[in-house]
Amino acid sequence: MASLKLEHVKKVYDKNVVAVHDFNLEIADKEFIVFVGPSGCGKSTTLRMIAGLEDISDGTLTIGDRVVNDVEPKDRDIAMVFQNYALYPHITVYENMAFSLRLRKMDNEEVHRRVCQAAEILGITQYLARKPKNLSGGQRQRVAIGRAIVREPQVFLMDEPLSNLDAKLRNQMRAEIILLRKRIDTTFIYVTHDQTEAMTLGDRIVIMKDGYIQQVGTPQEVFETPKNLFVAGFIGSPQMNFLKAKLVRGAGDYTVELYGIRVPLSAEKCAKLAAKGVGSQDVILGVRPEHTHLAFDDADNTIEGVLRVNEMMGSELHLHVDLADGTSVILRIPTLDLTEERRAGLAYGNRLRFAFPEKVVQLFDPKSEESLLF
Amino acid sequence: MAERKIPEVDIIVDEKAGVIKEVGPQRKLRSKKGHERRTNGAIYTVLTVMSIVWLVPFVFLVLQSFRSYKLEKGGMVDYLLPKTFSLDNYAFLFEGSNFFHWCGRAILVGLACAAATVALVCLAGKLFDRQDRGARPARVGILGACLAAGYALLVALTAALQGFAPAERPVAVLVCLMLFLAIGAIIARVYLKQDSKLLRSIPGYVVEDRHEGAKKLAAMFAEFALLAIILQYILIPMTKSQYLLWYTNTLTIALFTAVLQTAIVLSVSYALSRLRFRGRKLIMNAVLVLGLFPGFLTMITLYFLLKQMGLTQSGAVPGLILIYCASSGMGYYISKGFFDTIPKSLDESARIDGATRFQVFMKIIMPLAKPIVIYTILMAFMAPWGDYVFASYVAFGDQQGYNVAVGLYNWVNTNDFQNYFTRFCAGGVLVALPITALFLALQKYYVEGVTGGAVKG
Repeated sequence: MASLKLEHVKKVYDKNVVAVHDFNLEIADKEFIVFVGPSGCGKSTTLRMIAGLEDISDGTLTIGDRVVNDVEPKDRDIAMVFQNYALYPHITVYENMAFSLRLRKMDNEEVHRRVCQAAEILGITQYLARKPKNLSGGQRQRVAIGRAIVREPQVFLMDEPLSNLDAKLRNQMRAEIILLRKRIDTTFIYVTHDQTEAMTLGDRIVIMKDGYIQQVGTPQEVFETPKNLFVAGFIGSPQMNFLKAKLVRGAGDYTVELYGIRVPLSAEKCAKLAAKGVGSQDVILGVRPEHTHLAFDDADNTIEGVLRVNEMMGSELHLHVDLADGTSVILRIPTLDLTEERRAGLAYGNRLRFAFPEKVVQLFDPKSEESLLF
Repeated sequence: MAERKIPEVDIIVDEKAGVIKEVGPQRKLRSKKGHERRTNGAIYTVLTVMSIVWLVPFVFLVLQSFRSYKLEKGGMVDYLLPKTFSLDNYAFLFEGSNFFHWCGRAILVGLACAAATVALVCLAGKLFDRQDRGARPARVGILGACLAAGYALLVALTAALQGFAPAERPVAVLVCLMLFLAIGAIIARVYLKQDSKLLRSIPGYVVEDRHEGAKKLAAMFAEFALLAIILQYILIPMTKSQYLLWYTNTLTIALFTAVLQTAIVLSVSYALSRLRFRGRKLIMNAVLVLGLFPGFLTMITLYFLLKQMGLTQSGAVPGLILIYCASSGMGYYISKGFFDTIPKSLDESARIDGATRFQVFMKIIMPLAKPIVIYTILMAFMAPWGDYVFASYVAFGDQQGYNVAVGLYNWVNTNDFQNYFTRFCAGGVLVALPITALFLALQKYYVEGVTGGAVKG
C-alpha cells in the first residue's frame, strides 16, 4: 500500500516519437485509478513506466516516498495483470501463483497458505493442479489476478485485464474486481479503453489522448463537467451530441441560439461565462442523448429533425435523427413513457421534434475545443 | 472440373448395376490411375536403389567389424558377409585391460547396490514427503538410519569384492560405484513411470515433471561423463592400443563443447531476442556475413595461434574445445527465432514477479524452449564428435591428442592397413553407439526443435 506520484513524466521512443507528454498525477494510498483513452493514447506506456518495463525518459516517479526511476521492476513491489494473462505455460496454476513467492525464498508453508487463500478468494481452488492451457479465458484471468494477489504488493497494476474476455464474462469479472478491491484494500491502477469499465471501477478516472492527460476526476465529474470536446465525446454511450450554436451575450445574461430556438442560460452558467469574459461567439453545444426528450405537442423551443434509424434497445429507443443542416443527433428515449400510438409514429423518414433542459447543456469553444463552463 | 466429375460418379453407379453406358470417361479414369501407379513405382524404385547405395557401406562396415581376425586377417576383402564371426577386433581395442574378466562381477555387484539405493531413496523420500512431514526428531532419526544403511551397504560391497585380486580391488570399487550410480539413474529415469508413486515420493521431485527432456539429457550426459572418467582413469592405463585414449579425447571434447557451446548460443540468442541495445542489428548482420565464410579458411592462422599457447599436439584437447566454442555464438539464428515466438509479456510478468534477467532465462525461457535447447545441445555434441579436419591438424602428429576419427584414419592410412581394416570397422561401430543412443532418446525433441525453429521463427 502506497501513494504514487508522477511528476512531468515523459516517454520518448527512438526517432523522437513522444508517447507520453508531461504526465503529472498524484495517486493517493488505496485509491483506484483508471487510465482510459483510445488506443495509442499512451495509457499503457504510462502503466509500463510505473511497472518499470519501460524507461522513463524524463520526470520522476515516486512510489511511497522513494523515487523509483532507476529501480528494477522486481524491486518496486508492484504486481501487474497483463492483457494476455502472461501465465507461465509450463507450470501448474499453483506454481504460477507461487512463482514470485518462491523467488523470494519464502517458506513453503507460507507459500502454501498464501496461494490457497488467493485461490479461495478467486474460486480457483479446484484448478490449482492444472496447467494454464487447460483453463478457460475467465479462469486464466483469475489465475493472473491470483498471481498478483499473493504478492500483497504496494501497487496493483492492471493492463486491460478484461479485453480478452467475452461480453458476459467481462461484466462478471468487472463486478468481481470491484469485490476484490474491497477485500484487498490497496492502490490500484487500471488501464482500459472501455469507458464503462472506467466509470464503474474507478475512484478517479484519468482520460488520455495522444499522450496528454485530458481530464482527471471522479466518474461523476468527468461525466457531468467534461473539460473539453474529447472528454465529452469519450465518456458516455451513445456519444454526446454536438450541435453548432451561437452564444449571445445580453445585458448580464447569456442565451444560446440554435436551429431557430433560444435557450436562455441559468444564472450559475452566466456567472461562469461572465467570469471568463466570454462574449458573443460561435459555440458547440453538447447534450447527451439520455437528456433529450421528444416533444409531441409542437411546443416552443423544440428542434425538428427527420428520423433515420430507430434502434430498439429494450428499455429504451435510440433514435438517430438528421437535423435541417444534415447534423446527425442521437436521442435516447425510455420506452416506458411512450404510448403505442406514438411509438408507431417513430418510423423511418418521419419528422419529429425534440428538446432538452437547459441544465444539462455543455458549451465548448469551437477553436480551442475547451469547455466554456469548466 | 465439375463437368468431368459428374460422368465419373455415373460410371460407378452404372458398374454396380452391371451396365456400362459411357466408355470415354472410364478409359480416361483408368489411364489416370495407371499413370499414378507408374509414377509411384518409378519413385519407389529410385528411392530403394538410393537407400541401398546409402546403406551398403554401413552394413559392410558393421559386418566386417565382426570378422574373425585370427582366421581371415584384417585386410580389405571383396565379400560382404564374413565367413566367420568373432569379437576379435573389439577385443583388440581393449586388449590388455582385463576388462571382460571382472566387468561381469562388477556389473552384478553394481546392480545389487543400485537396487538397494533406489529402495533407500524412495524410503527416505516417503518419509520426507512435503505433504506429511514427520516431526523433526523423527526425520533426523530416519536420516541416521539411512546413513547407517548406506554404510552397511558399503561394507557389504567391500566383502563382495574379496573375490577380486588385491591389486584390482580399488579399480573394481570405483567401477562398481560408477555403475551403481549410472544404473540407479537409468532405473529411476527409464523404468519408473512419470507419475509413479515411487518417483513422486523422492524428495524435491515435482509431481508433473516439467523438465522431462532436460532430465533425460542430463542423465545421458552424466552417464557419458562417467564413461569418460572410467575410461580415462581405469581402462586407458591398462590397454595396449590407443583406441580408448582417442575415444576419451573425443568424448571429453564433445562433452565440453556441448555444454559450453549451448550456454553461449542460448545466451547470445536470448540477448539478441530480448534486449535492445545499440548495434544489435549491426552485430546480427555482421555475424550473418561472417558466417558465409567457411570456417576452414582460418585453419592455418588458428594453428599458429594455438601453438603459441601450447594448445596443439599433446594439448590438442583443450585447443579443440577452444576452437569449437570460440565462434559458436554465431549460430544463434535458430534459437533466436524460437525465442522470438515466446511472448515477451512472459518475461515482463516474471520480472515484475521478482525475477532477474538470468532467472527469467533459466526458469521461464529455458523450459519453454526445451526443443530448441535439446537441438542446440545435440548439434554442439555432434559436430566435434565426428570432426576430422580441425582435429587432424591441431593434433598434428601426436597420438596423445588424436580423436577417434583421426586415430582410426591413421590406422588404415599406414602401410599396415591390411591388418587394421577390420579393427578400423570395429572402432567405427563403437564410435557410432553414443550418438545413436542420443538420437534415439531425443529424436522427438530434435524434430520439434528443427521444425519449431523454422516454422515459427
